[in-house]
Amino acid sequence: MSEATAVEFKNVSKSFGDRKVLQDVSFQIEDGKALCILGRSGTGKSVTLKLMIRLLTPDVGSISIESEDIAHLPEKELSRVRRKIGFLFQSAALFDSFTVADNLAVPLRHFEKTMSPKDVQHTVEELLGQVGLVKDRDKLPGELSGGMRKRVGLARALILNPTLLLVDEPSSGLDPITAGEIDALLLKVKQERHTTLVIVTHDVREARKIADTLAVLDQGCLVGYGTLEELKSSENEVVRQLIWEC
Amino acid sequence: MSSTPADFFSFVGSLSRFGVKSLVSAVTPPYEWQFFLVQIEDIGWRSLPLIAAAGLALGVVTALHTRGTLISFGAEALIPSLQSASFFNELGPLVTGLLISGRVGAGIGAELSNMRGTEQIDAIDAMSADSFRGLVVTRVVACIVVLPMLTVFMDLTGLIGGFFSEHMASHISLQLYIHRAFSTVSWVNFIAPTLKTCVFGFIIGVVSSFYGYTTDEGSAGVRRAATSSVVLSSLLVIISDVFLVKLIFFFFPGKAL
Repeated sequence: MSEATAVEFKNVSKSFGDRKVLQDVSFQIEDGKALCILGRSGTGKSVTLKLMIRLLTPDVGSISIESEDIAHLPEKELSRVRRKIGFLFQSAALFDSFTVADNLAVPLRHFEKTMSPKDVQHTVEELLGQVGLVKDRDKLPGELSGGMRKRVGLARALILNPTLLLVDEPSSGLDPITAGEIDALLLKVKQERHTTLVIVTHDVREARKIADTLAVLDQGCLVGYGTLEELKSSENEVVRQLIWEC
Repeated sequence: MSSTPADFFSFVGSLSRFGVKSLVSAVTPPYEWQFFLVQIEDIGWRSLPLIAAAGLALGVVTALHTRGTLISFGAEALIPSLQSASFFNELGPLVTGLLISGRVGAGIGAELSNMRGTEQIDAIDAMSADSFRGLVVTRVVACIVVLPMLTVFMDLTGLIGGFFSEHMASHISLQLYIHRAFSTVSWVNFIAPTLKTCVFGFIIGVVSSFYGYTTDEGSAGVRRAATSSVVLSSLLVIISDVFLVKLIFFFFPGKAL
């Protein structure tokens, strides 16, 4: 594996009971690049994302984040690796009983225990400014629209300045204009922070806008991997259908 | 809950492991004091109106029921002591356990399953924070601590309800009512049944947290978690009460009523 590899999957398989969700999946992502994982519902896209931060563990194979195999790391070491990873969940996963500002402060208070309250507040304000939600800092998640929740989720995922950002269905449940705003924010993250992005999406147009590389999953198998141009020559039916959509 | 014997034993095993894990985590650091105090307020303080209303009503009703019977035996003077004995020994602990399994059990089941469904628990785990310790252990311990306190409150409001009923019927003074109510009660009659509610609290906390924390079925899962939490925790509270009463009689045979 080269030094510039941010994520590497080697022969990863994952099952839930009798159901095989991922089968012998291997790929790697270069540092600072954006990978979009495409595929139909239930093909293992979100599972792939959760494996990258070890919310799930693989049955077989290894998963490396910046050259460290996280599948077998002890909890303390895993915490150090997770410190470098941001995760924007499909539902944004904001804590219902916390305000917007407190939601952003949670990772700082957990990982940066020596940080002063003033510095925490300053960092929160800065991130809220970047996603255009400073005036909503004291609102509860229930008072926010779907797009605003996603932006808060993105700000929370970025608050520790991660080197790897995992994004699960950024445009799901959003109107095209709001989805476009989220895409623009993700592009900005990639260009200005040089963060490695892994995005799971159904939206092929979104993938075309953001991704350097596309991965196509079908029934748990990686049936396509490469740039849009490379995938155009694929003979796999699912890949051809998706690329045609582009 | 389970469709085959194998499913049933698997469920019992999972629930037992969950309970043991929560107890072990409760006695080992780090301790989540801040979240624990929030749960004390939510489970204890916010349950007080329900416990007070139920205690007063039960106190009045039991006094009305026993009055007719005891008068026919010329034992009207025993009404206060019968009230205190029934509340301290059984009514207070059991009714408090059942009311809290309804109010708090459903709440914990629904809240945790909603957090699971909206990926909030995943978000906590993704930060390497211990979601089990923060969400489950704090609730289980809060239930264990709060149940005896609420039981004492239920006992007192039950006696107050009984006094109102008796005062209306016989104009008994508060001083005489209290004297008669406590003349036949020993500390064992009060402390042992009150402390058995710690077990009720453990059952309610573990069962409702188990359903909430382990579900992953969206809105249907929230409904199922809330319902199952109430049904199973209420059932286990009643069943465990049988064994706990026998246990109290075993250790304090002289005080058994």
